[in-house]
Amino acid sequence: MIALKCLHACGVAPFSRLAWPLPRGGEPGAWVEADPDACASGIHACHADSLPYWLTEHLWMIELDEVEAAEHKLVARRGRLLDRVHAWDGSAMSDFAFDCVGRAEALLARDESLAGYVQDARTSARAGHAPVTGFITARVAELADGVEAYDAERAAQARWLVVRLGLDGLG
Amino acid sequence: MRLSEDLSCAEVVQLVTDYVEGALSVDERRRFEEHIVICDGCGAHLDQMRTTIAVVGRVSEQQLSTEAVDELIAAFRGWQRP
Repeated sequence: MIALKCLHACGVAPFSRLAWPLPRGGEPGAWVEADPDACASGIHACHADSLPYWLTEHLWMIELDEVEAAEHKLVARRGRLLDRVHAWDGSAMSDFAFDCVGRAEALLARDESLAGYVQDARTSARAGHAPVTGFITARVAELADGVEAYDAERAAQARWLVVRLGLDGLG
Repeated sequence: MRLSEDLSCAEVVQLVTDYVEGALSVDERRRFEEHIVICDGCGAHLDQMRTTIAVVGRVSEQQLSTEAVDELIAAFRGWQRP
């Protein structure tokens, strides 16, 4: 299965701090293996529809073997990095963040009590913090229209990422 | 992370040891990690905890002085959950 992996610069995993073997000379990175134990260990990745929950500064395509699905994530016995999604760059992060702010501002127009949250979203977007801006905007939606609106906002963010980054076929 | 699933930073700090020891439930772990993604402060705290474990996590009881053991026991006995 081909899925998506969010990493920090130099291929460092955000939670385990593992430095992933990077692809070289057009070849995939080396396989990394770990027992998939109910999310406590294993190779973690996600489909595009869960991408907004895990965004970091670098996005990679990853090949997985022996995959189990969990909420908002995939857990596999082994995985290897294929290619970096170079379209996820500073410009895309900024555009994503301000796209989120636009939806938050639309909600503010009918509920002024959201002003503080929307201002936080603007500040976060200007600082280039795409993941945080996405979270704040989803929270604004939830405050305005309930928990289903949170999920709907996250889904909207995922659709934006699929289109902008060309991730069709990755869930 | 929806409002109903929200973890405060104080809760994340309390859970960090269980997280690095793999003692959280699947749901707790997901909520913990979703918080770390959007909170630089808690992410830094997690990094500090990992670094601390890497540096001093191999100290055995036999390597500690009697005074250090007594101080640790006193500290743990005096510790209370907020």
